[in-house]
Amino acid sequence: MPLDTAATELRKPDELLQLVSFRLADEEFGIDILKVQEIIRMVDMTRVPNSPEFVEGVINLRGRIIPIIALRKRFGVEPRPPDKRTRIMVVEVDRKTIGFIVDSVSEVLRIPRSTVEPTPEVVSSVNAEYISGVGKLEDRLLILLDLNRLLTGSERSLLEGAAR
Amino acid sequence: MNEDSLVDDPELLNEYLNESQEIIDNLDEDLVRLENTPDDLELLNKIFRGIHTLKGTSGFLALDQMVRLTHKGEDVLNSLRKGERRVTPTIMDVILSAVDFVKLLHTRIKAGDKQPVDLEPIIARLDAVMASTEGIPTSPPPPKEKKLGEILVEEKVISEEALESALKQQKKVGEILVKKKLVSSDQVEEALKRQEEVRRKVEEREGTQVIRIDVKRLDAIMNLVGELVLERNRLMQLNRDIRSRAGTEQFEDDLARSSARLNFITTELQQGILKTRMLPIERVFKKFPRMIRDISREMGKEVDLAVSGEETEMDKSVLDELNDPLVHLLRNSVDHGIEPPEVREAAGKARRGTVHLKASHQGNYINIRVADDGKGIDAEVLGRKAVEKGLITEEKLRSMSQKDKMELIFLPGFSTAEKVSNVSGRGVGMDVVKTNVTKLNGIIDIDSQSGRGTEITLKLPLTLAIMQSLLVAAGQDIYAIPLSSVIETVRVQQEEIRMVDRVRVLRLRNTVLPIVSLRRIFKSHADSGTEPPGQFYVVVTAVADKRFGIAVDRLIGQEEIVIKSLGEYLGDVRGIAGATIMGDGRVTLIVDTARLLALSH
Repeated sequence: MPLDTAATELRKPDELLQLVSFRLADEEFGIDILKVQEIIRMVDMTRVPNSPEFVEGVINLRGRIIPIIALRKRFGVEPRPPDKRTRIMVVEVDRKTIGFIVDSVSEVLRIPRSTVEPTPEVVSSVNAEYISGVGKLEDRLLILLDLNRLLTGSERSLLEGAAR
Repeated sequence: MNEDSLVDDPELLNEYLNESQEIIDNLDEDLVRLENTPDDLELLNKIFRGIHTLKGTSGFLALDQMVRLTHKGEDVLNSLRKGERRVTPTIMDVILSAVDFVKLLHTRIKAGDKQPVDLEPIIARLDAVMASTEGIPTSPPPPKEKKLGEILVEEKVISEEALESALKQQKKVGEILVKKKLVSSDQVEEALKRQEEVRRKVEEREGTQVIRIDVKRLDAIMNLVGELVLERNRLMQLNRDIRSRAGTEQFEDDLARSSARLNFITTELQQGILKTRMLPIERVFKKFPRMIRDISREMGKEVDLAVSGEETEMDKSVLDELNDPLVHLLRNSVDHGIEPPEVREAAGKARRGTVHLKASHQGNYINIRVADDGKGIDAEVLGRKAVEKGLITEEKLRSMSQKDKMELIFLPGFSTAEKVSNVSGRGVGMDVVKTNVTKLNGIIDIDSQSGRGTEITLKLPLTLAIMQSLLVAAGQDIYAIPLSSVIETVRVQQEEIRMVDRVRVLRLRNTVLPIVSLRRIFKSHADSGTEPPGQFYVVVTAVADKRFGIAVDRLIGQEEIVIKSLGEYLGDVRGIAGATIMGDGRVTLIVDTARLLALSH
């Protein structure tokens, strides 16, 4: 059910989308602001053995244990050590709370739905499967991530494979 | 009539369900006691009151079917209560199966299933009791219509057991209807699916179960919370004074005292909250007298169940997992353990066998002992069976100790029953016991003497939420091992580890322990699992019936930890049971000792 919400939402053109944008490698991504719980600085984490490689570890977020995913590894982009601008975006998807390590968080954006176009064939290094659309800003493109699909699609089989 | 009038009020319904559940839980136990002491009028009155209350509250909620059934049941009980009839096994069978229908109705109501249950057969049986002279002292039986089977049994043409087994061959109604082409197998499937759905709904509801708490316990917690608030205020004051008073001896004393009190209150509060989740094991135990009665009747054996320590309390989550293993252990005792009365007499034993069920506390653990005075387990027979079934090799058998052989019964697919009975011998029983006990981080100990009986002891943690753990280091990482499964720790040299059959083992006193290395099992993607230092530690661990050693670099210490899940996203991580947050805020993973051994192969 949640898989196609992004697609249906795109059909209401005059509405404003509120997005949090972040950078990863040389690209700029956007995710629905309502999905973002908080943005924190990089912290030490506990490695989880026998988990997929892109799972960086788990952290303690005010008494809750939250898995952290290295988005670079997840997308198959060359990993790099964290720096001052590295952030963890804590998002809630499908009642699961997960953190993503991104290179930096840029800003909160409002863009009309009408400027969002369905995913073109080749747009970025990211698998088109995880993209719900591309927002055309004045001078750049913003890739809208479909978090549900990112966390539940082929991911699930990967994780289940690891659990076995 | 439908069952939905007032049931729309969820709170009212919940209260009804809880109250009636309690009555139902008590009924089985009381009824079986009544059968043994038929003249106990007080007990009879108690049972009658229970049914009466159930009828009353059901009537209030207009649960007509429940009212009808309890009303009929009340009639029979009333006649017993007034001394018109005496309790006979036949009457008891009818009453017990009426109670089963009460349970069925209760389950349906709980699931919100408004389909009526066909009560006619049981109502007819209850009516038949009232109409018959069953249990009425000294009056000749008037002729009445009887079932063919009953007549044959009465005239001793066939035995009751023979009739029962014949009746059991009757096919399920679905199969018959399909055969007669009255319904399609799809329709039956559909109906079965609906049944399954109801069952699932019940389970869902049980997910939001309520728990009854003694008000005294709540008061104790309230008091502690009050003290906690006071202590917080003191600390806040100290914090405000920090500039003016820091460094003075008085200030340090105050701070030390305040921390000590905070520590004390927190510990007490933790205990208090834990206690609210504690329930007496009686809740599980009280079903067993009825079960033992039914099984021994079915098997033609005479068995007494001696229960003790019912008041022993344990966490609800542990308690919930305990039912199935105990059912299997008790069934095993009656089925495999206790001999038929004639055999017992021939062996010079009392005709009636006894099964002891005992719960007791031991530190942070609970011991549950199931002991019978039956024929015991013959370790040699077990060994031969296991070889026959291809579960172990002849060679392995020769190297096994008496105790090792005994533990063969925990192998999946093992069953020593010559015949598969309705009760046990399907070869799944002990496996279930082991699985559940393993889930609870418990230990199973088995002791048996041929001809004298068998004693099985389960050692389980009191609670699953908080546990004592042993913190260990492996490479860069720190892990927590549940202390409930730790037997001892030993320091060893690399050379002491030998390879036997491609398994690393350590000879410790008289046993050979397989060794699992945490470094290897939990190696990271980057390193390929470096060897531990020349001298390291082995944590000797027990999981259910298995003993093995976990090799770690260092022992860090013992700590009480609160178990947290790794979350749905990561799901089930191999070898990790969960995580905990340490005093410094870091996350430490908890080792899943139960699955560690399997992972190492």
